[in-house]
Formats: sequence, C-alpha cells, structure tokens
Amino acid sequence: MSQTHQLSGYRIYWIVWSILLIVTVGMMFLGTTALTTALILVLLAGMLLKASLIGGYFMHLRFERANLIVIVAVGILATAGILFFLIAPDGLRVLNASQSVNLHVGGGR
Amino acid sequence: MSRTSKDLSIESVWRGGVSPFAVSWRKLMLWLFIITDGLLFAGLLAGYGFVRLASPQWPNRAEIFHLDFIALMTFILITSSATMATAVGAARQGRVQTAFRFVLLTILGGLGFLSCQAYEWSKLISEGARLSSNPWGVPLFSAAFFIITGFHGSHVLTGVIVLSVVAWRALRQRVSPEGVELAGLYWHFVDLVWVFIFTLFYLI
Repeated sequence: MSQTHQLSGYRIYWIVWSILLIVTVGMMFLGTTALTTALILVLLAGMLLKASLIGGYFMHLRFERANLIVIVAVGILATAGILFFLIAPDGLRVLNASQSVNLHVGGGR
Repeated sequence: MSRTSKDLSIESVWRGGVSPFAVSWRKLMLWLFIITDGLLFAGLLAGYGFVRLASPQWPNRAEIFHLDFIALMTFILITSSATMATAVGAARQGRVQTAFRFVLLTILGGLGFLSCQAYEWSKLISEGARLSSNPWGVPLFSAAFFIITGFHGSHVLTGVIVLSVVAWRALRQRVSPEGVELAGLYWHFVDLVWVFIFTLFYLI
C-alpha cells in the first residue's frame, strides 16, 4: 500500500473531526441564546448527531455487525431514554407539590 | 421434526467456537464494559435531569461557567479523539512509529483536558462551591457538577494511564494493532460521554 493511500485512510477521521467542531460551535452559539423548547430540541439533535459520528466512525461501530450495533444502541441510548422518561414525571410532581406547599404557606400568612 | 439449514446455522453460531459478533473476545468484553459504564453515566445524567425538573429554580450556567473555556475543553477532547483514531489506523497498517506519535498527541490532549478541568474545579471551589452547598442557592447544582464531571474526569485520567502503557509498549515495538484499537475504543467512549455532559449540563 502506498504512503499516499495510507494517509488518505486517515482522512475520514479528520473530516468527522471537522463536522464535530462545526456542530459544536453551532451548539455553543445556540447555547448562549435564550433557550426555547425548539432550541433545546435542536441542541439534543446536535448532541445525538455528534454521538453518532463518534460511535460510527471513531469507534468503528458503523463497520461492525448489525447485532453489535443494536446491542450498543439499545443498551445505552434506549435504556437511558427509558430511565429518564420514567422518572421525569416524578420530577414534575415534586416541583408541583413544592410550589403548591409554597402557595399554601404564603396564603396562610 | 426436520430442522432447516437456517436453524442449524443459528445453532452452530450460538453453540460456541465462532464469534456471533465477528469481533475478538477482548473487543466484545470491552464493548460490554462500555455499555455498562455508559449506563452509569446515563443514571447520573437521568438523576441530574430529575433534579433539574424538580427544582423551582436553577443557577444560570452562563454566570458561573465561562462557556468559551468549556468549548476549549470540548475542542481538546474532540481533537484527541481524532488523533487517537489516526493512531488506530496507523497501527492497523503496521506503522508503529506513526501510531506512537499520535498516541502521544492523544495523551497530551488528555492531560490538557485534565488541566482545564482542574482549573475549573479550583475556580468553583475558590468561589465557595462544595459538594453539599454553593453560593448560587441550589445545593444540588454543585453536587451534580462535582459528581458528573468528577466521574468523567476519573475516566479521562484512566484513559491517559492506559494510553501511556500503550505508548510505552509501542516504543518497545511490543504493541499489537488490537491493543491500540482497544485503548482507542475506550478513549472515544470518554469523548462520547463528554458530548452528553457538555450538552445536558453546560448548554441546556
């Protein structure tokens, strides 16, 4: 294999690096503005894009068998998502309960 | 009942002696470790999300952190991931010296990141932030910060130690391409976790 061909084999990593940097700068710009629900969704999409690029190209997951990809993706992302969405309603309930207690305490004075 | 060739094929795969995932046992074990370690961070970040949702107020991150500095830390970690991927590519091609140089660059990136994190921690501690209290009125804010970034920092430190061993072995021409690849897999995982921490803790 020629030297030029060997070096071109690394090019994909630096292309991914460039995309990661561009996305990060974009997310930084959005992160310094007042966050709306739409902007938060864009930031989460940017986060998942960056995670996919790192997992797919740097960790070579894209070139592994589908069963390994599924185990990693379901194992981490789906479990994390289920974990968060199962406890998120409890967080909101705690918030509502503390706010209603504050209202009662404030009203009793 | 007669068994089809597909049944026999599936049975032969799971009986052992072949690799269903087409990776070596060392790589499969590391992937399983990465999944379980990823779930540790998923638990920490989900807990952080719960605390954020349950808190009536939360400190403004832009008043506490210099986001430019956090961006620099992110730049360092992403760049170190690219140098590590290049080292893995070089090792696969049998170019041990090139792999050694890029592993060294990755170690420098890791040390740079750890230095930045040490500076950030010392700055917050000097401002009065502790694990159970802080000047910004929400004690769980600093608890979440120190626990999440502390766990991540310990992973970066572990990665630097692992990479130093790989570099030492490469210098003595005793490193295998798979050894570099496995070290790289762990390093990229550390970068991957930072992507989530950076977005969920610092930006949102």
